[in-house]
Order: sequence, then C-alpha cells, then structure tokens
Amino acid sequence: MEVSKVTTDVVVIGGGGAGCRAAIEVAERGLDCILVDKGRPGRSGATPCALWSIQAPFGPRGRDERDTPEEFLMDMVVGGRFLGDQNLTEIVAFTACDRVLDLERYGVHFKKYDDGRFYQTPMPGQTYPRSCFMYENGQHMSTVLAKEVARHENIKVYKDFMVFDFLKNEGKVVGIVGIDQLSGEVVAINAKATIAAAGGYTSLWGFSDNPPTLTGDAISMAYRAGADIVDLEFNQYYGTDVIWPPSVKGVVVLYELLIDEFASGDVTDRYGKPLFQKPLPIRDEAIKIIFKAIQEGRGTEHNAVLFDTTRSPKGEEEVRRIFKEMTPKHYQLLIDAAGLDLAKTPLEVAPASHYQCGGIFINERAQSTIPGLYACGECCGNWQGANRIAGTALCGTQTIGKLAGEYASNDVRKETRVVSIDEKDLDNKVKYIESFMSKKKDPIRPVFIKEKILETMDKYVAPFRNEKSMKEGLSIILSLRDELLKIEVSSIKRCNMELREAIESRLMIEAADLTLRSALFRTESRGHHNRTDYPEQNDVDWLKHTIIKEKNGRPEFSKRDVIHSRIKPPIGKKA
Amino acid sequence: MSTNTVKAKIFRYDPDRDKKPYYQDYEVSIDRQVTIRELLSIIHRDHDGTLAFRDYVCYKGFCNTCTVKLNGKAVRSCATPVRPGQDIRIDPIQEKLVVRDLVVDFTNM
Repeated sequence: MEVSKVTTDVVVIGGGGAGCRAAIEVAERGLDCILVDKGRPGRSGATPCALWSIQAPFGPRGRDERDTPEEFLMDMVVGGRFLGDQNLTEIVAFTACDRVLDLERYGVHFKKYDDGRFYQTPMPGQTYPRSCFMYENGQHMSTVLAKEVARHENIKVYKDFMVFDFLKNEGKVVGIVGIDQLSGEVVAINAKATIAAAGGYTSLWGFSDNPPTLTGDAISMAYRAGADIVDLEFNQYYGTDVIWPPSVKGVVVLYELLIDEFASGDVTDRYGKPLFQKPLPIRDEAIKIIFKAIQEGRGTEHNAVLFDTTRSPKGEEEVRRIFKEMTPKHYQLLIDAAGLDLAKTPLEVAPASHYQCGGIFINERAQSTIPGLYACGECCGNWQGANRIAGTALCGTQTIGKLAGEYASNDVRKETRVVSIDEKDLDNKVKYIESFMSKKKDPIRPVFIKEKILETMDKYVAPFRNEKSMKEGLSIILSLRDELLKIEVSSIKRCNMELREAIESRLMIEAADLTLRSALFRTESRGHHNRTDYPEQNDVDWLKHTIIKEKNGRPEFSKRDVIHSRIKPPIGKKA
Repeated sequence: MSTNTVKAKIFRYDPDRDKKPYYQDYEVSIDRQVTIRELLSIIHRDHDGTLAFRDYVCYKGFCNTCTVKLNGKAVRSCATPVRPGQDIRIDPIQEKLVVRDLVVDFTNM
C-alpha cells in the first residue's frame, strides 16, 4: 500500500465533543492541528447521540442558588463510588460553567429563564437540579462544535479516516497511522503531540445505545503503545434502552423523564407494577432493580421491562409534547423506524451498554503515562470512578477536552526538536494491514468475527458476572485472536468496508480481552461491576484502581491508590 | 413473487474498475419489516461483502450519514422501513459525488 506522510504540531483522534474542543484549544493557542475522525466531525462519536443534559453548577446563575462546584464534586465522587481521581473530578467540577459558556459563545442554544439564568433539569444523583438544557440535544452541540472547528484555518480535518495505530519512536508517541477510507490511501501523521479523543468501547457489546463506531480503539492502541489503562471493568449500563423490535434496538429512552416534573410515568414489570420509587435511583442502582425483576420472571418475552407513560396523569398529548421538546429525535425515530409512539405504547426496555467509565489513565494535565500521548473524553479513564451520574459525560468532553488541548499545546511549545517517525515501526504496522488482503487457506470474513465479539460480550460480560462465565468468555475471545490471522478481504481501494471491519476486529479483540481480564481481576462488587461470586463492596482491598500495563506482549495487572484529595471516603468495610 | 423477500436493485460503481455505473439485483429473505440500513447490512453479511454503503454512524436517526435514495426519494436508511414483498431501488444521494456504490463524499454537502 502507498503511504503518504504529513507532519503537524498536534493530531487529535476523534471529532466528537472532546476531540473538537481539544482541537479548538490547540488552534486558539496558535498551533497547527490535524483532527481525524472515522466518520465526519459533528456527526460522529457518541456526542450526537447524547441528550440535552450537560451538568454545570451555575448556582445563582442557574436554577438553584444553593448549588456550588463543591456540591457537584461531591455528587460525582459519591456517584462514582469513590473511585474517581479527585485531581481530575475537581477540574471538571470547577471549570464546567466556563466550558458551558464557551459552548454558548460557539453558538449552542441553552434554555434560559426570562431573567437570563440557565434553566436546569433535575437528574438522579444531583443534590440540586444541575443539567443545563440544550435544544436539539447533543446533536446540536456537536454540529456547533464542528462549525467552530471549521472556522479555524489551522485545523485540518481528515474525515472518513480510520486510525489503526499510534506510531512510536524513542519511547514516545509521535503520531498515528491510518487509512483514508474513501481513497484507500494509508497516511502516517507525524505530530509533536497526539490527543486520543476516540470515544469508548461501548459497542463491544451487541446491545448498546451507542454508535457502532465506538469499538474501544483508543484503549486498544494506547495499551499496545505501553500506556497505563485503568478500570475497564466499569462499563456503565443504562437501564432503559429499547430492546424490541430489532430495527430500533438500542434507542435510549430516558427514565429520568419519568418524574412528576416531566412525563410522570413508570418503569414497570410485565404486570404493570412500578419498579422504581421516586426520587429515581442513579444508574447503577437502576440496573440492579431491573435485572432483579427480570430474574424473578417478571420481565417480558424479550427479557425486558416496560417503559410506560401511557397511564400518566398528564395525558397522552402532554406526554408527547414533553418528549418532543426534550428528546425530539429519539421520539421521532421510534415512530419512523418501528411505528412506536411512546406516548401511546409502553416500550420494551432493558439495560444496555452505555458508557466506558475506565480508559486511558491520565493526570491533571490529561497526559497519559506515555510521553507525547494525551487523552480526553470517554476514552480517558480515571475520573468517573465506578459509575457515572447523568450529565457528566458531555461536561467531561468539554472540561477535559480543553485541558488536553491546553497542555498538549504547552508541551509542544517547549519541544526543541521533533521526534520523527521510526520507519521500521511504520512499515510493520502497514504490513499488518496489508496482510488482511493476502490469500488464506481457510479464509474468514471479519463481519463474522465482529459478530462473535458482540455476542460474547453480551453473554459473558453482562452487568452481573462471575468468574466461571467470564473465563468462558475470555477463552472465546482468545480463540478469535487466532481467527484474525485467517481474515481475508478484497483489495478494493475505495470504501473497503471489509478492510475497516478487519482493522476494527483486531482493535476490538484487544479491548475485549483487557475488559474481561479487568473484570476477573476485581473480586468485589461496586458501581457497574457486579460479581455474583463477590457480591459485596470491599473497601479494604478494592478502594483502588485496576491498572493494566503491557509487559512482553502480555497485560500485567496491579492496583493503584485513588486520589482522594478533597473528599475522603467513609470508613471502609471488609466483605 | 415470494412474500418473504425484498427485491432490491442497487446502484453499483467503482470508478477504479467500472467504466460506468450499473444496477445489481439482490433478493433478500426477511421475516419481518426491516429498515433499509438493516437490509444493506444483511446484503453485506450474507450476499456481497463488496457492496459499499454508509452503515455508519449512529443508527439512531441523528447523523444523516446513512442517507440514500429509496425509489428516487431521499431517506435516512436507519429510519426507513421496508416490508417483505416490496420491490425497491436504492441509489446514492448524489450520483456525481459517488466515491463507490452508495457512498458519497460529504465534503461539499
């Protein structure tokens, strides 16, 4: 394959909320930046699928004057089950308002009261109502951010660009190598700093409410580059995603809208008995309640519970108006694709893969443990902890995205020389991709490998897991590693979907392997990691991060203390 | 015609290999209503791995990346159902922007 080479100051992987914000920061600091995305910025990643909610503790400038950054910090720390590093959580809490004001400056429309204060919705886990309301939801936010990116001449966008590895030289990440999917050309980008903003691993699971592009690429590549990876066992599930019919499987319907302020409905078992009490449970509690009901045989034929607003005292018209205002696209998609009007029909919903709480380990400058590599957005790992409360994901994209752009730029300015690409390293990585196109004896198509990964993760890394089932899952993933060698795809240059699937299969297998091993490593239950063989939370042994580091081609596991700089955990109990 | 299949006529064109665009016919078995996006994925999986289309990115009706022409009319393939027994034609959203088959370059859109 032909390889073209370009150089820049900073390369950013991912055109979602975090990647766009990081690139804008780099550009505003006068440096050159290349932003690459598997699809196109503004229409890619998880940000467009997000809802209205971005948390920021505006206090007197918002809905409740009692709210403060300290309260926000406390809510995140408690919601994260004390597993988030507070050097980072603190930055998120204390810079959230500034970043929301940045968004407003870029052109995001927030709902306001007549006197100019931010309208904020209450969400579970928030001491005071703190979710600022974006009209047209995350889609609007990502479109505005992409437009802001386009305003900067020093940001070059490579869309439809599938990254397959970091490039390393002299112990440093010196850029990336990927394929322009439209032309089929391989491009190596040599950069003084590399920012991973490539999103999470939620679509390693077949039942996910995230875009299928989110295959854990960042953690997989960062692990291979030698960076520390943290807490992958905490895959957040969201309780109420549509599971039936298949055409709309994975559409998120917000249980947060069931409170009396909004639609006033219930999540019920198949007999119509409400499962949640109000105030509503936060997410890790919500999934436990739903699973218990399903386990007790109170679920539907598709192993689901019901999202029911049809008996709301507000009436059908008002319920429809609320969903149309608050989640217009989700509401309409259910009608267009499956003929389901949720104001009229209860929906079959179940917990689905929603957010990667772990990821690349970073410090308070968004630096990974490998020089030259920074991370932000969902792919960075150690600030959410074991669970995430509503409205912190978008907030994290902006706060940590800005942080990554800022410190990457500072470090680039200090560089006296550019470390070039190691030609041998590049050559090996390109050869690996070429090997997918060579003739094989018993060829396998990558679409079937991907399918098997999704099935395996759904079955063996469910919200409730145990050693036996996860070991079975791991052995399947390991057997798929051998299958990778048998992949054979056509040599079509333009838009070779199968080649992309082959590259993704490899990244996904790595990410799935690490996730399974992390979940096996942590022998306790906390947040979204529920071990049926270790059902108790064990603070004495496990108020720690799970750390993975590559050593001689194998993952090495260890624990690391959590940074509790502001809020100390309550006295621990032994299981 | 059988009532559990969809007959799809799909625009194909690889500028590197083909002199001009052509239509390829696929007959796809389905036992329920599916979206165009699901139909294309079934073709990709079970009939023809070389067909290029945008199965990216969100599947949730937001990103418009999967927009194609169904019987001449622009639709989002993730949000548009077809029923068993239907005869359909699928074209790229703008023929002059085609990179390959149904995939167009969005740069100027």
